[in-house]
Amino acid sequence: MKNFDLEEPESLAEALALLDEDDSAVRPIGGGTALMLMMKAQFFEPTRLVSLRKVGGALGGIDLSEDGSSLRVGAGTTFTQLQQSPLVQKHLPVIGRVMKTLANVRVRNVATVGGNLAHGDPHLDLPPVWMALDAAVDVVGPSGERRLAVADLFQGYYETSLADGEVITALYAPLVEDRRAAYAKVTTRASHDWPALGVAVSLVPDGDVIADIRIVLGAALDMPTRLTAAENVLRGQPAGDDLLATAGETAAEEVDIESDHRGSAGYKNHLLKIYLGRVVRELMGR
Amino acid sequence: MSGPRDITFTLNGRPAAATVKPGETLVDVLTNQFDLTGARESCAQGLCGCCTVLVDGDAVSGCLYMAWFADGAEINTIEGLADGNTLHPIQEAFLEAGAFQCGFCTPGFILMTKKLLEAHPDPDDDVIRHFLVGNLCRCAAYPEIVAAVKLAARRLRDAG
Ligand SMILES: Cc1cc2nc3c(=O)[nH]c(=O)nc-3n(C[C@H](O)[C@H](O)[C@H](O)COP(=O)(O)OP(=O)(O)OC[C@H]3O[C@@H](n4cnc5c(N)ncnc54)[C@H](O)[C@@H]3O)c2cc1C
Ligand code: FES
Ligand code: FES
Repeated sequence: MKNFDLEEPESLAEALALLDEDDSAVRPIGGGTALMLMMKAQFFEPTRLVSLRKVGGALGGIDLSEDGSSLRVGAGTTFTQLQQSPLVQKHLPVIGRVMKTLANVRVRNVATVGGNLAHGDPHLDLPPVWMALDAAVDVVGPSGERRLAVADLFQGYYETSLADGEVITALYAPLVEDRRAAYAKVTTRASHDWPALGVAVSLVPDGDVIADIRIVLGAALDMPTRLTAAENVLRGQPAGDDLLATAGETAAEEVDIESDHRGSAGYKNHLLKIYLGRVVRELMGR
Repeated sequence: MSGPRDITFTLNGRPAAATVKPGETLVDVLTNQFDLTGARESCAQGLCGCCTVLVDGDAVSGCLYMAWFADGAEINTIEGLADGNTLHPIQEAFLEAGAFQCGFCTPGFILMTKKLLEAHPDPDDDVIRHFLVGNLCRCAAYPEIVAAVKLAARRLRDAG
């Protein structure tokens, strides 16, 4: 590996100063699980890595907002910390269920919420789930601080709207009364393969009616993508089999899934129809 | 300053120091500078668990863990598990249950089993399989490994 420098600042201000360079070979590093793979493969040759591990407070912690309307997750939170947090278990039980099939203990001990989002890999499991939960992130950089929806973070295949020198500091998940969420992923060979498709859904039921719904498709496209046409079919309606079939057709029509070695376009469209129905049925308790 | 740097850490209970090149992995440092070959690189991408090392008590894949991050940490490897010539009960259980053929994956499985049993002293098959999902055994000694984990769990519980 080529020589590079590692900085381990102990404050966010210091980290930002060290990152504030017009150089894409200067990057933050969270757990390094994605970066190390890219560095070992020589896809990425840094000149300087700024570790966020020792920044502490500004990037750490999991807290409920004072009015209880949202949960803040520091970007440096590891997946294991996320999984073990009583607040997450209570308010966002979907996260614990996603973790059951996400990587393995060793990766979860190291990988961070911020690194997972900033990586921009379309196959990751959590980004579509955060989008279905309507989560947002705080981003700090040379031009100040901004909050943007997780949905607006993704711009394309491994492309995000983060500028050089910007750091995700925290994620905010709004907590909505009676909302339920679920995620299904389909791998086509071994269970640890990257998925051919992931479907994340959050919905608010009102008796048999789907009062509100968000559907996000992961893995099958170049970035996690909200399926608004399918949402519109289902919103305000009772979740009957015919309607779910229509929603599945609509979902497959509103996106342009391509064939790859994880499956043909036809196969993945079929999976989308089936899994959308399954996830919504599960969430509606039928 | 962007070349090698010196780090110090605790290795299996003893103070240790190493000069680490940029991007060098923890498993490389343990192998090349300390002759510890229990953690070994196989898949090189976090999937197989052959390179399992405990860092401050948490299991990590040594093949993806930047050795610089080990500065100041407490590192434990399979070599530190036995008490002198007395094997750890998990090691005994793996021997008794015949939970390996070639043994290449065994150090990783044993360290992961240690963490598994700390969190779940009486694990059922599902818990065991789920916890060890990131450990691969090319010889497919899986049934014996699950049996070994249960045997070790029983022994450790009995020993209180
Ligand atoms: C064996 C293995 C199995 C896996 N299985 C799964 C799986 O089943 N499902 C799944 O979803 N994922 C899986 N992953 C991927 C894993 O989720 C990611 O590697 C991880 O989330 C990245 O987090 P990190 O902290 O290690 O990121 P890093 O490697 O540290 O960084 C990744 C990118 O994010 C940037 N970055 C890091 N932190 C920040 C920040 N706070 N602000 C801005 N930019 C930042 C870095 O510069 C880099 O570009 C797996 C990974 C491995 C190695
Ligand atoms: S060699 Fe590190 S997990 Fe396989
Ligand atoms: S015993 Fe040979 S790889 Fe597991």
